[in-house]
Amino acid sequence: MTRIGRVWRKSVDGRTAALYLLPSIILFSVFVFYPMFRTIYLSFFLTDQTGNAAIMVGFENFVYLLGSSEFQNSMKATGLFVLYTVPITIILALFFALLANEKLKGIGFFRTMYSSTMGISVAASSVIWLFMFNPSIGMFNRLLGVLNLPQIQWLLDPEWALLSVSISTIWMNIGFSFLILLGGLQNIDEHLYESSRIDGAGYFYRLRRITLPMLSPTLFFIITISLINAFQTFGQIDILTKGGPSQSTNLIVYSIYREAFINYQFGTASAQAVILFLIILIVTILQFKLGERKVHYQ
Amino acid sequence: MKKLLTSSLFWVLILAFAVLTACTNSDSKEKNEPTKNDTSSETEGTKDDGAATGEKVSIEFWHAMSGTGQESIDAIVKGFNESQDKYEVKAEFQGSYEESLTKLRGVGGTKDAPAITQVFEVGTKYMIDSGYIEPMQKFIDEDNYDLSQLEENILNYYRVDGELYSMPFNSSTPVMIYNKDAFKEAGLDPEKAPETFAEVIDAAAKLKTDEMYGFSMLTYGWFFEQLVATQGGLYVNEDNGRSGDATESLFNGPEGLNVFRFLDTMNKAGTFGNFGTNWDDIRSAFATGKVAMYMDSSAGVAGAINNAPFEVGVAYIPHADEVQRNGVVIGGASLWMSKGIAEEEQEAAWEFMKYMTTPEVQAKWHLDTGYFAINPAAYDEQNVKDKWAEFPQFKVTVDQLQDTIPGLATQGALISVFPESRQQIVTALEELYQGKDPQEVLDKAAEGTNRAMEIANKTKQ
Repeated sequence: MTRIGRVWRKSVDGRTAALYLLPSIILFSVFVFYPMFRTIYLSFFLTDQTGNAAIMVGFENFVYLLGSSEFQNSMKATGLFVLYTVPITIILALFFALLANEKLKGIGFFRTMYSSTMGISVAASSVIWLFMFNPSIGMFNRLLGVLNLPQIQWLLDPEWALLSVSISTIWMNIGFSFLILLGGLQNIDEHLYESSRIDGAGYFYRLRRITLPMLSPTLFFIITISLINAFQTFGQIDILTKGGPSQSTNLIVYSIYREAFINYQFGTASAQAVILFLIILIVTILQFKLGERKVHYQ
Repeated sequence: MKKLLTSSLFWVLILAFAVLTACTNSDSKEKNEPTKNDTSSETEGTKDDGAATGEKVSIEFWHAMSGTGQESIDAIVKGFNESQDKYEVKAEFQGSYEESLTKLRGVGGTKDAPAITQVFEVGTKYMIDSGYIEPMQKFIDEDNYDLSQLEENILNYYRVDGELYSMPFNSSTPVMIYNKDAFKEAGLDPEKAPETFAEVIDAAAKLKTDEMYGFSMLTYGWFFEQLVATQGGLYVNEDNGRSGDATESLFNGPEGLNVFRFLDTMNKAGTFGNFGTNWDDIRSAFATGKVAMYMDSSAGVAGAINNAPFEVGVAYIPHADEVQRNGVVIGGASLWMSKGIAEEEQEAAWEFMKYMTTPEVQAKWHLDTGYFAINPAAYDEQNVKDKWAEFPQFKVTVDQLQDTIPGLATQGALISVFPESRQQIVTALEELYQGKDPQEVLDKAAEGTNRAMEIANKTKQ
């Protein structure tokens, strides 16, 4: 028996594993790895009008972006947007989930209502919000008019636009977070509550000592997902503001889209995508390092 | 177990992120796949009628017209298919101008490309440079087609170096639309709209009430280009990009500054209403009496007249006081013939384009949509005359186009990075409305456009 034969025999597990992994590796390669490496490759080039790499420029795209006030503004807007939407969405969703977790008559109706925004596509709900924000015939300004308050240029005032988009985004995202959190709440063992009730614990004590710790894996999951989603927001920006006014809602993903598909600058667009990737990577790593300590797995 | 769970969750998230990034922008591309509808049955029908004709040549026509435009195109295509039995055109809506251009980039120059594609006017330079297309001039020369029957001012835009690269199709120009009732209330003459910047500023101040702004303009680069052109100002160097590749923007010169000062004066006086970048918003603002005068496309005139509960006036766009009016630049889109497809397909496409330019078809198109007839003989058709008698406002748009002084300015600029430049102008306007200095914001837009042109020239092959 030769050495090669022995190695071959020993690695049988590895080879079997590779065989099982093959389908997903092929799929991932085609749809994830190839586009990813292509993006990184393109980020070092200037592209011609048909999107082919034309001139190698090294890190010039990155240098240009980091020095450009527009891109800095995009990063700032993205940061603010994440800050506006993620905490509020999760706190509201948790509040609704706690309410809907009570065993009451007809609670199924409320559960459906609270999660219903999940069933509406981003495009459809953005169009509805667009009508409500309309400066001349929108519902919000009509309401303000009835109450004799000054009119607000919801989507046209750079001070308000990001807030307006955030409000609609919170509304859109609550459904999904609510549903996941409610699922987490339903999974908590009833006996824990029973024993604590016998011990005479009050509602808020139980919430702090049982519900939240038991819910922490779900909370951790939803926070991570919401953060990543918020960083990648695109649909509502495209429909509501197109990045305006004065770039105040030009979030990074929208700026990538505009650079690539309106300006046909795939090089700088790819560079932006790479930077976004790094940001999300760092945020996610940080979250796993810091946030995970507080997570209680049963 | 816990370790495994977290680390696998971590990697799943990373991958999920990568997937999302990779496909973030692809969602708009998959609508309206062409359905192979009943061509087979129709071809059979032809065989029965006359075996001599053989197979019909079938071509695709990509367009970006939704709503009434799409209905009108479908009717025109149907008319063409029924008018002869050699060719079969299939019209397919491919999303907005930007979207259909992006799709074309995937198949351009191959035999899978549609025979005819509708591309917006600012894509002209891009298409010429792309190598996807066969210049229209080739077919015009081969067929001895008489171009003089088409509107000269429209041909001027699409003619580059004396050659026509694409067939004009839907053309529009900007107009100023105003509320005649509001003019009467403010003591202004409703039959005589203000013509110069100073007159507009003046009228806007008189028209301003608590409910209503005096003047408004969609925050869109096209209107700025027009207001510069009507003063005879150029947008970029190299004769507006027509004698060579432009390298420097000129729109931040005195003409552009005039426009920004004009808007700034009204904005500071509180007589200017900002209704954003959405056509529907500014149109509804006008129809609900929130603004008395605004600038719209000539293709929006019909809608304004129909939607407004008051009397609507249409006027030429204003110009700076110290200069003569030069007129307007053509906007809209033209039809491009693909290269790399079979010869008989090109022939079919050419026949279809000729059909599109006939007076009857153009009259229908003009009445359905409010776009210009590129063949002026259409204006002599009875149905057009009837409509004009009823709505004289339509005629103003045509008069304004025909009064235009042909020149470099009104021929329109030719740069491949127009979409990007327009975006820069939008940002500049938005910053102007926030109270920034006109020259400063214009210079910033010019700088951005210069950089885009520099990259485009550098990477051109």
